[in-house]
Amino acid sequence: MTNPNLAERVQLKFYATDHVPAMDLIPVFHKWITDKVIDDELMIDVADYSHVDKGPGVVLIGHASDYYYDLGEGRPGLKYSRKRGGNADATLNVADAFKRALTACVRLQKESGLSLAFSAQEALFSIQDRLHAPNDDATFDAFKATLEPIAKKALGDVTLTREGDARLGLTIRIRAQGAGSMEDAAARL
Amino acid sequence: MTGPTWKDRLSDAMPEHLAREIDVFEGQIELKKAGKLDDKIFAETRLRRGAYGQRYDNGMRNDGTGQQPLVFPTALTKGPDTMWDAPGMQRIKNPFGKVTAEQMDVMSDLADEYSDSILHVTTRQDIQLHFVHIEDCPDMHRRLAATGITTREACGNSVRNVTACEFSGVCSTEGFDVTPYADAVTQYFLGHPDVQDFGRKFKIAFSGCHDEPCGATTFHDLGAIAEVRDGKRGFRVVVGGGLGAVPVKAKVLSEFCEERELLPLAQAVCRVFARLGEKQSRARARIKFLVQKVGLEEFKKLVAEERSKLRDDPRWTAFLSDLSATDETPIRPGAPLATGDAAFQKWAETNLRPQSQDGYYVATIKMPLGDFTSTQGRVLADLAREYTGDTIRLTIEQNVALRWLSGADAYAFYQRLVDNGMGDAGARTITDIAACPGTDTCKLGISASRGLAGELRKRLKVIEDDLPPEVRALRIKASGCFNSCSQHHAADIGFLGVSRNVGGRKVPHFNVIVGGSFQKNAGEYGLVAGAVPSKAVPKAVEMITQKYTAEREGDESFHDFIERVGKGAIRKLLKPIAKAPAYEDDPSFYSDWRDPREYTIGDLGIGECAGEIVPFVEFGLQAAEQELYEAQELHEKKESAPAAGKAFAAMVTAAKALVRFLDVQCRDDADDVIAQFRTHLFDTKVFFDPYAKGKFANYLLKLHESRSFTNADDEIAHRTLDEAQLFIEAAHACYQRITEASADAAE
Ligand code: SF4
Repeated sequence: MTNPNLAERVQLKFYATDHVPAMDLIPVFHKWITDKVIDDELMIDVADYSHVDKGPGVVLIGHASDYYYDLGEGRPGLKYSRKRGGNADATLNVADAFKRALTACVRLQKESGLSLAFSAQEALFSIQDRLHAPNDDATFDAFKATLEPIAKKALGDVTLTREGDARLGLTIRIRAQGAGSMEDAAARL
Repeated sequence: MTGPTWKDRLSDAMPEHLAREIDVFEGQIELKKAGKLDDKIFAETRLRRGAYGQRYDNGMRNDGTGQQPLVFPTALTKGPDTMWDAPGMQRIKNPFGKVTAEQMDVMSDLADEYSDSILHVTTRQDIQLHFVHIEDCPDMHRRLAATGITTREACGNSVRNVTACEFSGVCSTEGFDVTPYADAVTQYFLGHPDVQDFGRKFKIAFSGCHDEPCGATTFHDLGAIAEVRDGKRGFRVVVGGGLGAVPVKAKVLSEFCEERELLPLAQAVCRVFARLGEKQSRARARIKFLVQKVGLEEFKKLVAEERSKLRDDPRWTAFLSDLSATDETPIRPGAPLATGDAAFQKWAETNLRPQSQDGYYVATIKMPLGDFTSTQGRVLADLAREYTGDTIRLTIEQNVALRWLSGADAYAFYQRLVDNGMGDAGARTITDIAACPGTDTCKLGISASRGLAGELRKRLKVIEDDLPPEVRALRIKASGCFNSCSQHHAADIGFLGVSRNVGGRKVPHFNVIVGGSFQKNAGEYGLVAGAVPSKAVPKAVEMITQKYTAEREGDESFHDFIERVGKGAIRKLLKPIAKAPAYEDDPSFYSDWRDPREYTIGDLGIGECAGEIVPFVEFGLQAAEQELYEAQELHEKKESAPAAGKAFAAMVTAAKALVRFLDVQCRDDADDVIAQFRTHLFDTKVFFDPYAKGKFANYLLKLHESRSFTNADDEIAHRTLDEAQLFIEAAHACYQRITEASADAAE
């Protein structure tokens, strides 16, 4: 019996409204490592995939999680990806992903010289763990109760829709009705 | 609450022997975590499972202004000086590049879950996933095993992935389809006891014919080229080729080896290599050095003797009874090529190749720097299911090919590629640049080969339609160091990363290598025309290609052009851009492509890319070999004084490697290196050969005093080269003696 609440590899992407060439993120992410901007995580390296169409863009590689300036779907955005060391409690794990993703978005919005902005009206949540969280309706139903309250808390009223083919890990589109800022969303968590 | 595990889930799907091997590996991980396994043993164990280390795994990262410790959660290590938690790389071995749709789906899933959603095609038809954690490897291996893939011997001192032309079986110039033979060799040697005790890795390649580039047998330890004689199938077998610091072309071991003799001959070669190949000094442990040392004729004799001693093995010929076992069956009827728009026509020109079977084509999907996403991987799997069947092959030019595409489907197929960002035209042209990982992830990387390749690609894409056809046809390859993983020696224009000091700062450079050729199985190696700063490489490409266009005679190939004008002309051409501007004038030269940090080689680690743990001293000795090789090239071109100077520099490099190996600090300049060498290796007699005593050391000391190389004529150059060769040999021997003595002392 699969149980998505056992999975720790969660990903959350917020989309950029004003975007910039992915390569512009390379110096920013290097600076984040050098200056230990994410002070409670070990950040290690920057991987450049800006040459790949609709790819992972530029990735700030960490030990426990990665931060992508992601070009997936042809829609740039900030994707937070928990790899390990997550909380055994799924609710805490998801809340942490929201907090970290939103905080990173706010930081990027403030990066001088970047002019990058994100929307709090839409996000893409996924679990990269096909063993515990296959992309099917039963898993979606089982996980909704975990995800929805946190998404609501951060973004206001939301609708959740499962999407993508069965080969993917559980993938959920989050649409928020409100038009709050990233800062507000981050502050609510 | 515990959930399901991959081990349970896949227990029925995995072949039993693979499942068992993976359990053993997982057990070794547990033993290592419990402190019950030695670092070196565990390193070799994981390498043999294709789990490599990556840059920064020694727990240090240079941020451009200094070293910064990376404090990983545990102090545990997974090899000498290799932190347990540091991200590593998983190599997935795909014999002759073959991948099924199911395998492509699974590798894409693994990229999503354990890596960064990127699958990287290597120049040896493997897939690599980067930034993976060692503890995720057993589950990755299980999921691969369930689709028939083993990562066993993807690395380590054994037979590596057996490669073959991606056109095998569908090519109009091939003698016959080499696929079943490559498959038989793969199966036969996997885990075979005769290939477990090599001093270094052993690479085998197959080619269907002599003249095309696809198999690249020339630079393999063992190459087999299909030939039919008197209606009988067989192979021209070549041995002892290799790239790296000392590129060597493989030599003919057998003009015609009948098909039934192929496996026993290969086995005899492996046994000779295992028995007589160098084991101590890894820098000289590839089979090319053994062939050089004993001479080809003696090597042939040794192989023949070994062959005569082998007991018959039914597996040598069992596969011959069903050579069609590896055949692919098209799923759509063949038909003439569909028409499409202009973009399709352009793509078809370079990316579609007609098969020998009427109405079918091989489609090459150009992957930038060998990378594609997990999403694209799933699209490729879908395309294979819909149009071609299980006919995906990874290519040594870091692309993906799908065979058996009906001409009627080609346009629809192309449109799907375009929709998914894979419709780039120009396969096998100047924009299709091969690059090794370089400083991005490789511990041995000196310069940013991927950064460079990405930049060149971006610039060339803009102008590709305006380039003359002879320039568009050129191939570029970039390696981050002299280990040559991009196979740059066989490119028209190759680059290899080096570092230079300018005004007391390090500047990333690339050696420019011109005139190699991928034709005739990579039959010609290029020559070093000099080094230029990384940031000047695009200009160098522009200057070289313009010269070629302006001075080309008739249909002259680039290789012939370089032969005619000489490497010296290219060096002269590049001279104005060979020197980096002062830091104050242009600091951009002091960082590498796509990496804003001030350049350093402080991140260089102990390499695993070259197959195993390579101590830094061996890296230095290899650098000396490379310089000596360049000196020999200069000498052949009658450039006597530069040749002698280079040979002297090679000796200094070797001396420096040893001095630093003894933990003695020394600067890079020859005076200091030689002063330290005299004190610590000559006066102490540590360098002394048991028979020749101080003779070889004296070569260096005397040359340093006399500086006879500065205006050497041909004779002096010749002598200096000989002395340098002997000195470097002695340096290897000295290093070996020291390590042996330390090992004895430790015991
Ligand atoms: S060893 Fe050198 S050539 Fe090979 S991948 Fe590393 S940097 Fe590139």
